[in-house]
Amino acid sequence: MATITQNSRLSNVLWPTVAWLIALIFFFPIFWLVFTSFKTDQDAVNPEFLFRFTPTLENYTNMTQNYDYWKFATNSVITSTFATLFALIVGVPAAYAMAFNPSRHTKDILMWMLSTKMLPAAAVLYPMTFLTKNMLGIYDTHFLVILVLCLVNLPIVIWMLFTYFKEIPKEIIEAGKMDGVSTWGEIKDILIPLAWGGITSTALLTFIFCWNEAYWTVRLTTFNASTLSTLIEGNRAPEGLFFGRLSAVSTAAIAPIVVLGWFCQKQLVAGLTFGAVK
Amino acid sequence: MADRTLPKLLQTPAVILLLIWMIVPLSMTLYFSFIRYVLSSTNRPEWTTPALSNWRGFGNYGYVLKAKDFLFAIQNSVLIVGSILILTVLLGLAIAVLVNRNFPGRGIVRVLLISPFFVMPAVNAVLWINMILDPVLGLQGLAVGGLNSLIDGLRDFPVLGYFFNLWPTLEPISFRATQTSAYAVIMMVTWQWTPFAVLIFMTSLQSEDESQKEAATLDGASNWSKFINLTVPHLGRPIAIVIMIQSIFHLSLYAEIEIVSRGNGNKNLPYLIGEFANNNIGAASATGIFAVILANIIAIFLLRMVGKTLMD
Repeated sequence: MATITQNSRLSNVLWPTVAWLIALIFFFPIFWLVFTSFKTDQDAVNPEFLFRFTPTLENYTNMTQNYDYWKFATNSVITSTFATLFALIVGVPAAYAMAFNPSRHTKDILMWMLSTKMLPAAAVLYPMTFLTKNMLGIYDTHFLVILVLCLVNLPIVIWMLFTYFKEIPKEIIEAGKMDGVSTWGEIKDILIPLAWGGITSTALLTFIFCWNEAYWTVRLTTFNASTLSTLIEGNRAPEGLFFGRLSAVSTAAIAPIVVLGWFCQKQLVAGLTFGAVK
Repeated sequence: MADRTLPKLLQTPAVILLLIWMIVPLSMTLYFSFIRYVLSSTNRPEWTTPALSNWRGFGNYGYVLKAKDFLFAIQNSVLIVGSILILTVLLGLAIAVLVNRNFPGRGIVRVLLISPFFVMPAVNAVLWINMILDPVLGLQGLAVGGLNSLIDGLRDFPVLGYFFNLWPTLEPISFRATQTSAYAVIMMVTWQWTPFAVLIFMTSLQSEDESQKEAATLDGASNWSKFINLTVPHLGRPIAIVIMIQSIFHLSLYAEIEIVSRGNGNKNLPYLIGEFANNNIGAASATGIFAVILANIIAIFLLRMVGKTLMD
């Protein structure tokens, strides 16, 4: 008996400590990025000032001069918001139909949608450039970025919504039908309020994916519609020259989304495993 | 009648959009892969516009297959994606089992742990290759320098000094060489995706049947055999899902490779396509078709394995 209590007392201290250590190790690179952003470019590469230095906001105040941060940030906000919105507008009715009126082909359609996510984007990069630049003339426009972000995320959006909608008892929807509610009414007055939690977490996750997307946004824009991904990828400084300001602009690029992520991390699992892991 | 038409109508926009998104660019890639098509050529200006008269048949495919980088790019893709999958699943399992207890500050631990997952790929790469892995200015350089001076100091001790004199002076590793930069990419992506695996495994561990475990304890089963015989099978589905979702994202890994290894020879299949596309669109398209075939093989395999279980 004595050994058991000793054991559990030891593990009461040991496991939480291990857990905290692991969490801190994983968080450390982000901490280091934020930490470095308060050093001047000179201090950032000087071992003498590794931990003791005079913190400065210089990198943040100069961000507009050095990097034109606000322009890229605004583009990120605009494109991610509208792409998420359009993906939901197209996705909600589709997922509604699949969840409540499944046909023989619903499974196959869902599988096919997921498989489009696996197509390597690089394979169609040149045709996309050719189409948008030479034929449609929409290269480097917000419209194009929104459209592409929406399409890229649509399969995941529909999958997530589908799994949330499936949880809603069919009877509730049927009851609405009995009362003579129109389909639009069903979606607007019954489905959306009931699935509001699922829809918002889908929206948040989609927004995060849009914000972090780095292939199409970089390659289908030159300047006008470029997002924060382009800013960072285009400005990876020659080694060590601008660690301070690079850290500041990187921090500013990830901060909104990491904080948003903290709020929806609970929904992340159910969302990204399509409800298969609960 | 109306019962069937309306649901179809509601799905139509999504299906049509995705069909166009898939078919139009892909058929252009297919077309370009069969013609001679370059962006600039002084000798053969007629090749700079896509035209049926520049038909090359399977010539581009042969050219790509013979290119020395093609096999290397495929091997490297396999190395990078495979290593990331193995590392994230193993680390994820270990950490999930360790962290899956009740203790003070559990919520904060979760939040700290999941944070890397939300970092944008470009920032991830910039942060790791410069501030952490740089052999001189990064933390790696500082850590190696610190270790060296520590060992140097110990060399003067009477008895221990002899032992420490046997130690070599440590050299920092440059992660900008061809092969090492692949390791850097593996490291940074593993850092980003392990939290995702942890979160999923932890959620799944919480739904494990405790009574089964208690029964096993009563039967005298060891902790290890309980883990192997009860927990691991229970985690089978989450593991499969973690592998599937990560494959979707990592097969098209690009930003990290672009930032870490521009021009140093390290490449995966998407990066090789990008290199060809600087001028030789025909070859880039043929490589693209190879990549699509490869992705399809993997997709069919994964969706067979995981997809069906998602539906129930």
